[in-house]
Amino acid sequence: MKRKAISIHSSRGGTGKTLIATNLAAILASRGNNVALLDLDFRAPSLSTVFAKGIQEPIKCWLNDFLNGQCTAEQTMIDVTAKFSLKGRLLIGLANPSVEAIRNIVEKSRAWEVTAVKKIFSLLSSLFNDMNVDCCIFDTSPGVQYSSINAAVSSDVSVIVTSLDTLDLKGTKNILEELYDALAKKTVVLVNKFSPEMRIKSDENQVSFIESVERMLKHPVIGVIPCYCDVLQSERTSLMALKMPNHPFIIKLEEVAERLEDFTKGNLEEELVEK
Amino acid sequence: MAKKKETNSGNLELLLTQLVDELSQVNEKLDSLIALNGEILKIHERFQQKSGAEAIPRIEPHLEPDVISLLSLPASLRKTVMVLYELDKATAEGISRKTKRLRAVESAAANQLARMGYLKKKREGREVYFYIDSSMELKK
Repeated sequence: MKRKAISIHSSRGGTGKTLIATNLAAILASRGNNVALLDLDFRAPSLSTVFAKGIQEPIKCWLNDFLNGQCTAEQTMIDVTAKFSLKGRLLIGLANPSVEAIRNIVEKSRAWEVTAVKKIFSLLSSLFNDMNVDCCIFDTSPGVQYSSINAAVSSDVSVIVTSLDTLDLKGTKNILEELYDALAKKTVVLVNKFSPEMRIKSDENQVSFIESVERMLKHPVIGVIPCYCDVLQSERTSLMALKMPNHPFIIKLEEVAERLEDFTKGNLEEELVEK
Repeated sequence: MAKKKETNSGNLELLLTQLVDELSQVNEKLDSLIALNGEILKIHERFQQKSGAEAIPRIEPHLEPDVISLLSLPASLRKTVMVLYELDKATAEGISRKTKRLRAVESAAANQLARMGYLKKKREGREVYFYIDSSMELKK
């Protein structure tokens, strides 16, 4: 995989960003890629819970500390490869979930945010050049938050996760038009939690459905993942892609990973231009 | 039909070249005006020092080019700031290598951002470097 930074974002909470980001990272690492997964959702951090079982020692350097200039990139990234027996490496950078750390982030000035975006670029440079990472995935805060826009600015591709809920679609359209188009970044849409009642019966229907969403949002749709109740109810402290690799949710996400790889290579863009 | 298309694209190219040239000229004129203003201020300071009055402190504008402010900037300037997030400092030539736009376009954009207070510029030998001032306290 060509070295790329991918941000996973959505207009509203509860679309499945973290589940998608963690499992996408696991899928890419199990294929032999060296992957870094960063929790940029500083207001509601969750990766520390997801990976709690994979971390042996207490965390000394959070991503918050790295952005504050108190830790190096090497000190911040935690290697969890051995815990999950992956073909490639999986490094994680965690946001501090303590209330004090969240309060501290909320109080940051605009000047600090300028430094933060520059620090994210320097972290990417360390990951790609010194730690041999092939792909960096940012799990971000929903909506228009500094950390999410910082992630969008520093990533090569942004994946906007949306359900077909009217509020989600409206919010997605807004951030695509007012944020992503303004930043002129490569952006794709991933439809998640597609209702079983609306489940697409044939390939032909799927193509026309995707085209209608693309026409509405004016951005390519990289995949449609149905809503699986067992996924919503599953315990979130393990990586589904490794525990249940044959689950239809993971199979769909594998297809998304392939299309993302194509997109980062530019193949999908050509296909979309032809459309 | 093909010939007509060729002529149209030729005209467009000519128009764009003229536009870039004119932008460069405007940029040069603005730079001379800024230099002239600096000279006037220096003369004024010397005059005040001689007459015993206190010199007027020079206030340079300083604005934070954070990502939210970025959204309110024109698209042409936004691209330049985004490159400078990644590079510590860069010449107009260095920025143009990243944005794949003409050097003159980047020079005009970076100088405009410097005048607005979003970027700082400094001369090192013959090169002029543009950068984002991150001299504020990190813990703020």
